[in-house]
Amino acid sequence: MTTVTQAVREREQGRDVQEPRAPRSRRRRAEDVAGYSFLLPWLLGFFLLTAGPMLASLYLSFTRYDLFNAPQWVGLDNFRELFSDPRYRDSVRVTTVFAVVGVPIKLAASLAVAMLLNAALGAKGFYRSAFYLPSLVGASVSIAIVWRAMFNDGGIVDQISQGVGGEAGGWIGDPTRTMPMFILLAVWQFGAPMVIFLAGLKQVPAELYEAASVDGAGPLRRFLSITLPMLSPVIFFNLLLETINAFQVFASAYIISNGTGGPANSTLFYTLYLYRRGFEDFEMGYASAMAWLLVLVVGAITFVFFKTSKSWVHYSGETR
Amino acid sequence: MKRCMRIAAVLTAAALTTTACGSSGSGDGGEDGGDVNLTMTWWGNDDRAQRYNEAIEAYEAENPGVSVTTSFVDYPNYWPARATEAAGRSLPDVMQMDVSYLRQFASNGQLLDFAEVEGDGVDLSGLPDPLIPSGQVEGAQYGIPVATNAFTLFTDAAGLAQVGVELPENPTWEEYHDFLREVATAGGTTEDGQPVYGAGDYTGVFWMFIHWLNQQGIEAFTEDGELGFTQDDLETWLSSVDDLRAEGLLIPPARINQLSPLSPFDAGETTSEMTWDNFAAGYATNNPDVELELQPIPSDDPENPGLFLKPSMLFSIGANTDHPEEAAALIDYLVNDPEVGDVFGTSQGLRASSFQRDAMTMEGLDAEVAAYEESIEPLLVDSPPPPVEGFGTIEARLLEITENINYGTVSVEDAAAQWYSEAEQTLADNQ
Repeated sequence: MTTVTQAVREREQGRDVQEPRAPRSRRRRAEDVAGYSFLLPWLLGFFLLTAGPMLASLYLSFTRYDLFNAPQWVGLDNFRELFSDPRYRDSVRVTTVFAVVGVPIKLAASLAVAMLLNAALGAKGFYRSAFYLPSLVGASVSIAIVWRAMFNDGGIVDQISQGVGGEAGGWIGDPTRTMPMFILLAVWQFGAPMVIFLAGLKQVPAELYEAASVDGAGPLRRFLSITLPMLSPVIFFNLLLETINAFQVFASAYIISNGTGGPANSTLFYTLYLYRRGFEDFEMGYASAMAWLLVLVVGAITFVFFKTSKSWVHYSGETR
Repeated sequence: MKRCMRIAAVLTAAALTTTACGSSGSGDGGEDGGDVNLTMTWWGNDDRAQRYNEAIEAYEAENPGVSVTTSFVDYPNYWPARATEAAGRSLPDVMQMDVSYLRQFASNGQLLDFAEVEGDGVDLSGLPDPLIPSGQVEGAQYGIPVATNAFTLFTDAAGLAQVGVELPENPTWEEYHDFLREVATAGGTTEDGQPVYGAGDYTGVFWMFIHWLNQQGIEAFTEDGELGFTQDDLETWLSSVDDLRAEGLLIPPARINQLSPLSPFDAGETTSEMTWDNFAAGYATNNPDVELELQPIPSDDPENPGLFLKPSMLFSIGANTDHPEEAAALIDYLVNDPEVGDVFGTSQGLRASSFQRDAMTMEGLDAEVAAYEESIEPLLVDSPPPPVEGFGTIEARLLEITENINYGTVSVEDAAAQWYSEAEQTLADNQ
């Protein structure tokens, strides 16, 4: 999102520069004042609450800062330490697996539900709200606690899996099964991408399907050749958003692992490790360095997505 | 935007940890004419909260001009919250302090030197002299010891009777390991069918390691605040339960994680646990069936179990307080008032002040803990000075790395090497 708005803003600024300066009328100036006055709350928020702290953390990432003493300049030490820190590697691995495996599953699930809802005949409003519900409550602390209880020894998941002949035991304490649990939790909150998919599906012209049916295309063919290409801008949007979100998982990991990232670092998500280094070990410089590396990586991923999107995202009305 | 959201998430989490268990001990005291409002925080559980609320209600009744707003949270989450407040110079007026963090907060000017408090201050005359320096950093008093505790080997007589195993008195380490083996292979189960073990892997508990080092005549830290033991010492210690680990005779880490925040001993799934003796009250609360017995930790030399008295907790005043005199008065009340002693019993350890200890009528568990601390008196070694800065970090890291050993993700040798180099780094960073 940030990147989109920034790109737009930059383009506008660029155009400003190129335009020949016209003499400004009093009326234009009054409009400017009004415009900036209306922007003021946002500008204040941006500079004081976003840009200021971001710059401060950029500075802190080159220091050793324990919250008590003034920051001490250490140059690139924090970044160097990152690459030799085994737990940092764990956190990168956990987060990457979550993003790479979890995001496609979540998108597939939300698209599937959106298509079902699109095809539903009655009570659409009810179903749509019902399926969106998990996303409304999903990020809350209480849900993470409920999930913890469900996946514990003797919890409902344990009982069901034993009932169908699966391995006994809860998932919470098993480092190999905590990641599937987190992905399930994320997939279950498919509401937001689903709503966007649903809106996208409504935009696909029905005559395309009709024409394809007349030509003898089956449901799979219609899905592959019409639905997916027509939805590609929406898929792109959801993919970008969900990937960025996946890199920022915090609350659920914090609660389910009691803030430790355990067992055996299997839930040590990037932001959780960042929090622990910053607020438990009092190493704000190190935590800031982690934060900036994350910003850079997410920025790079976004950039790559935009670059590759030209080859697979199809905007209707565009000719190629 | 992204970053903003992340900061918001972190702040929310911090806020949650501080408010989730928050409670107001003052009731409506804040509104009906309290002239001074003190903020106070502690770590602990519901049992402790009830006791604090009772003590503070009594204090407010005696001091109509003062109201106290309290909040509490569990130990691991207590420190991030306090550190954040410290950065913003907004520490509570009165806070429960741990010796592990005293140096960190005090040497950075976050705590009030009690010598600077005007008026009556806190009466230290009831405290045993050797204990008073445990609240001092470079000669200044930043913490008032509330109570003392000592390490002990808890056993659950009821649980042991069920599995039919006995622990010899004053066991050696080998005898203790045999005991763990016997319990784990006895085939006992809890009411909901969980197997009963002798204990979990105790080598991850840093204080436990310090006691073992004491038994070997090694000091954990040098006077310059560096590690006083070698990586080999650590490896010897961590590998001392290798056999039990290999045979699966210690309660598995997966089970410990599922039970968290309860300990396996709380849940009756282990029959012994080595920790500070003031945990007795918590165990009794969490497991009504437990029959606690206390004895010194295992040692190959019965004359030297390496035990010492430690202040279980202290009270400190935030340097940013607007009401130093009132804060000191509240601490004086909590530390010295005989009624408060009765409210807390031995749940914070044996009360440090003789004004409280001598006036207490101790029964049952409290009497047992008091008797234990008396019985080990001839065996005690000197209390260590307040631990080095960064102690909390390396303490937490040892627990974590031992968990990884038990999950089999790291070898003992690698774990020892990794912990040792990280600990050296942490201590160097904090110099």
